[in-house]
Amino acid sequence: MTRSYDVIVVGGGHAGTEAAAASARLGARTLLITPDLSRVGQMSCNPAIGGVAKGVVVREVDALGGVMGRATDASRIHFRMLNRSKGPAVWSPRAQCDRGLYPRGVRRILDGIEKLDLFQEMITGVWMEGERLGGVVTRGGQRFSAGAVVVTAGTFLRGRIHVGGEAGVPAGRAGEAPSIELAEALEARGLEVARFKTGTPPRVDGRTVDFSRLEVQAGDVNDYRFSAYVDEPIPEQRVCWITWTGEGLRKVVQENLGRSALYGGAISGRGPRYCPSIEDKIVKFPNAPRHQVFLEPEGLETTELYVNGLSTSLPGDVQEAFIHTVPGLEEARITKLGYAIEYDYFPPHQLRHTLEVRSVPGLFFAGQINGTTGYEEAAGQGLVAGANAALKVQGLEGFVLGRDQAYIGVLVDDLVTKGVDEPYRLFTSRAEFRLLLRQDNAPERLGPLAERRGLLLPEQAAALKDRRRRWVEVREWFRSEVLVPETANKVLREAESAEVNRPVRAEELLRRPRVRGESLARAGGAPFAGNDELVAAVELEVKYEGYVRREEDRARRLRDQAGFLLPDDLPYADFVTLSREARDKLVRLRPGNLAQAGRIPGVSPADLQNLVLEVRRARRGVAVDATDEPSQGSPDIL
Amino acid sequence: MLLRLAPSLRGELPRPRVTRLLSLKDPTTGALLDRGLVTWFPGPSSYTGEDSAELSLHGGSLVPALVLDACVRAGARMARPGEFTQRAYLNGKVDLVQAEGVADLVEAESEAARRAALAQTEGGLSRRVSELREGIVELEALLAYHVDFPEEDDPPVPLERIVREAGGVAERLEILQATAPGGELLRDGALTVLAGRPNSGKSSLFNALLGEARAIVTAEPGTTRDAIEARVSLGGYPFRLVDTAGIRPHEGEVERLGIEVARRYVARASLLLLCLPCDRAWGEEEATFLSAVPVGVPVVLLRTMRDRIPRGAAKAPGPPGGIGTHAVIDVSVEDGTGLREIRDTLPGLVYRGLVELGGDAPVLTRRRQRVAVTRALEEVLAFRNALSAGVAAEVAAAHLRSAETALEELVGVISGDEVMDRVFADFCIGK
Ligand SMILES: Cc1cc2nc3c(=O)[nH]c(=O)nc-3n(C[C@H](O)[C@H](O)[C@H](O)COP(=O)(O)OP(=O)(O)OC[C@H]3O[C@@H](n4cnc5c(N)ncnc54)[C@H](O)[C@@H]3O)c2cc1C
Ligand SMILES: Nc1nc2c(ncn2[C@@H]2O[C@H](COP(=O)(O)OP(=O)(O)OP(=O)(O)O)[C@@H](O)[C@H]2O)c(=O)[nH]1
Ligand SMILES: [Mg+2]
Repeated sequence: MTRSYDVIVVGGGHAGTEAAAASARLGARTLLITPDLSRVGQMSCNPAIGGVAKGVVVREVDALGGVMGRATDASRIHFRMLNRSKGPAVWSPRAQCDRGLYPRGVRRILDGIEKLDLFQEMITGVWMEGERLGGVVTRGGQRFSAGAVVVTAGTFLRGRIHVGGEAGVPAGRAGEAPSIELAEALEARGLEVARFKTGTPPRVDGRTVDFSRLEVQAGDVNDYRFSAYVDEPIPEQRVCWITWTGEGLRKVVQENLGRSALYGGAISGRGPRYCPSIEDKIVKFPNAPRHQVFLEPEGLETTELYVNGLSTSLPGDVQEAFIHTVPGLEEARITKLGYAIEYDYFPPHQLRHTLEVRSVPGLFFAGQINGTTGYEEAAGQGLVAGANAALKVQGLEGFVLGRDQAYIGVLVDDLVTKGVDEPYRLFTSRAEFRLLLRQDNAPERLGPLAERRGLLLPEQAAALKDRRRRWVEVREWFRSEVLVPETANKVLREAESAEVNRPVRAEELLRRPRVRGESLARAGGAPFAGNDELVAAVELEVKYEGYVRREEDRARRLRDQAGFLLPDDLPYADFVTLSREARDKLVRLRPGNLAQAGRIPGVSPADLQNLVLEVRRARRGVAVDATDEPSQGSPDIL
Repeated sequence: MLLRLAPSLRGELPRPRVTRLLSLKDPTTGALLDRGLVTWFPGPSSYTGEDSAELSLHGGSLVPALVLDACVRAGARMARPGEFTQRAYLNGKVDLVQAEGVADLVEAESEAARRAALAQTEGGLSRRVSELREGIVELEALLAYHVDFPEEDDPPVPLERIVREAGGVAERLEILQATAPGGELLRDGALTVLAGRPNSGKSSLFNALLGEARAIVTAEPGTTRDAIEARVSLGGYPFRLVDTAGIRPHEGEVERLGIEVARRYVARASLLLLCLPCDRAWGEEEATFLSAVPVGVPVVLLRTMRDRIPRGAAKAPGPPGGIGTHAVIDVSVEDGTGLREIRDTLPGLVYRGLVELGGDAPVLTRRRQRVAVTRALEEVLAFRNALSAGVAAEVAAAHLRSAETALEELVGVISGDEVMDRVFADFCIGK
């Protein structure tokens, strides 16, 4: 008999777990199928979560009721707020997790969600019910029917691992089978497929490392939490270490370049420039005298260390040789070899903003399968795809985040409107509203929306309300608290700012550059002193009010453009006042609104103006002649 | 179309970009229309990017008209003004600024306007704007590195370096912006007003500079009633010369008329030529007139009718000290004295920035261009000032994005992920 669900999620990685959780939170009967239930939420690469831009995504996933933030809090063994020396707009939380505790946390959270079933199997195909997707088939031939299916197969699709210059071995991850039939089944549905690659460094046995030669990198001591709703107990903290490669390593790598899978020609897929292999670094920057290497603990109960910075596809003996040239690692024993992996992805221009495949209604993709890289990017997409799968089955309006609302919105929009030509990772420079999209205000930005759309569980909604109350309290303190000169000047001296000779309101001082909110709160004896996060949020909004306002204005304009809808059946090919390139791109990508159209590379501002006129004229049923005067004044929408 | 017009091709298109002599026949009757040179340009390597053919026919009005008529009957239609360039633009062969340059080139009435338009058509201005935009992208890349990659091999970029580089970009934007006042005059010509008391020789000079008798000249004072305007190229630069009615000094009329002249022309004028015969002394008329001239508009005093006083004799007194004019030139339309000096002097007064930069430098010729460059400049300056004042770099960066957008809109380029490309090219990133 065929078992039937509202939503089926294929794959139990970071995208799959968020998708399944979001769908079930929305009340859809959901099944998560993955080949090995003991590896749900497994971290394929470095057990680190967060970082610049990515850390904000974790906060956003959490604000939307997701899993990743809580699981990170419950497993982090080292934490640092990156960019702490810069303004709070770009503070970026990053945690090193215990490789075992993280998936256990994920599993515990999933097990706590009603309406969510788990099942261990490999999916080999999909079946159709007329034009729409009917369900999935397992390797054992069992059929499951579903209203919608989310595929999150990560690096498994026709995955092939390379250690050295040989042909490589089929695998989805070290020691796991690849997913070949599913890749073929999806391709057979007429989807365009392409190939990317990525890599991972070797791990070493900490008992063989000479720590006396390494620089310690201590974590921040605080109880920062990614989750705004649930306080997980934070484990014991560990330090990381830093060392540097030198001339010796350069020699070894250069002499053996021909044996690298990357440089020997065994791999053709494109890899991410921001996670270069050590081969890449040596070849592209031959004059750099040294490269940083971070040694990061893999867990509390293991001595294994992740050698961050030495990702490679060189054969084992060469890895051994170059590791031994690094100070502190002269005697180190490798426990797991580094490797490169090549895999299929489906170019994401084939998707809608709901992450539904345009040509196969009911089929959704999320995670690495869309050409992205990184746990956080996968989680953000998983949440969007899972929510939309459930909403579709429930016959409700889709869930799409704007570029001005969330990094997740930027991510999805970039994927769908621009496509990818290398594994996609988020950066702050991809966001045009980074003063609005901060880690500190994620709950305020997205919590109310999540609550409205039914994405929050009751206890999460209650926590959101409580947080709102505290936020108002901090804001009010700065607005009303008057500091006497003696108190104020202590802070001002520290900030090298001009002193005052009369009592001043805290807010007024906060507007000055370099004067920190936390210093004022401490000096003024505020009841919330020490709660950096809320103070930073208020500080930013007060200090850079003008800039924040400016971004809000731009965001409003963008929303106006987003409100100018472009129906799916517009005859772009006939819009002769648009450049040929723009017409071709519009026909191919069919953006949903004007704002999306404007972000397509190849669609210029002038094209956009003419597009507005064309659409307006098309609505009135008047044909436009190529020789009409090109528009003079810009249409008011732009 | 070409095949129907030239049956001798037997249905085969000629070799691309090679000129051939062909018989052109009426497609309906088969009658020979002309034997002409035909060149075939298949797209995309043609001016418009589309397939096109050029015919060189025997001149006169009849032959081309017959051939055109035959083309239209064979299904062609006449191009509208600017359509070829518009198609070239739509097919990505030229950018917006280049297309504007083509339009200007067609209409150029002076050597300087032609040069500026040509440079613009050839992509000179577009290139300069792209370079400036790259300078801004470079700054954004430094900031992206600063924010996105806090833990790399290379040390952080010092803020002073960013401030310094922002200053450099601002300076280059300023130089370009400075060409705008002159550049915008290039298309229509600088409005230059000839003024002076009746019978001071304004109309004579007007005709002499034009090289033809356009204005009526008589010995009667008050000959010219309504202003006459004409375009003329002086020293290679375009001017719109206006001959006005003389100022009459009686019954308080002086002021009224002076102000009227001022009101009608001076407010918009780029340059004023005040005529005063060599044998007449500076008087109330001239003083009144001068006081109506807005600050900043250059005034040239022309001492007319130089031939009427003997060589070596002193002129009647000019303006008392303290009253400023930018140049004084003695002229005579009888013997041509001073005409050359006028041609040499006027361009420098109006097109100052351009004359100094030399002929090949890119020039802003439209308001649209000036507005965009000015906005970019203001944003880059705001960025630099904010940074120096201690505003966090990632916050101040908002200005750079606006500056970049302004320049992008100007040439119609489309931004990709260039900032990141730059970062990866310049720094060794990633663990
Ligand atoms: C070697 C390696 C190196 C990496 N290096 C980096 C890096 O340097 N930087 C970085 O940011 N990211 C890196 N990553 C990427 C990061 O691991 C992924 O981006 C992230 O895990 C993607 O999440 P996902 O949910 O899309 O896929 P995954 O986490 O890969 O999860 C896929 C899941 O789908 C399951 N599955 C696959 N096929 C089927 C099927 N047919 N039926 C049922 N279940 C199936 C798998 O078992 C797995 O549970 C690396 C990954 C690997 C493997
Ligand atoms: N000898 C000589 N006579 C000149 C010269 N310029 C003008 N005249 C004469 O001066 C008289 C007036 O010249 P116009 O050019 O009509 O003077 P105007 O300023 O235009 O006079 P209104 O239009 O009446 O204000 C005419 O008789 C001209 O021939 C000159 O350079 N030399
Ligand atoms: Mg006259």
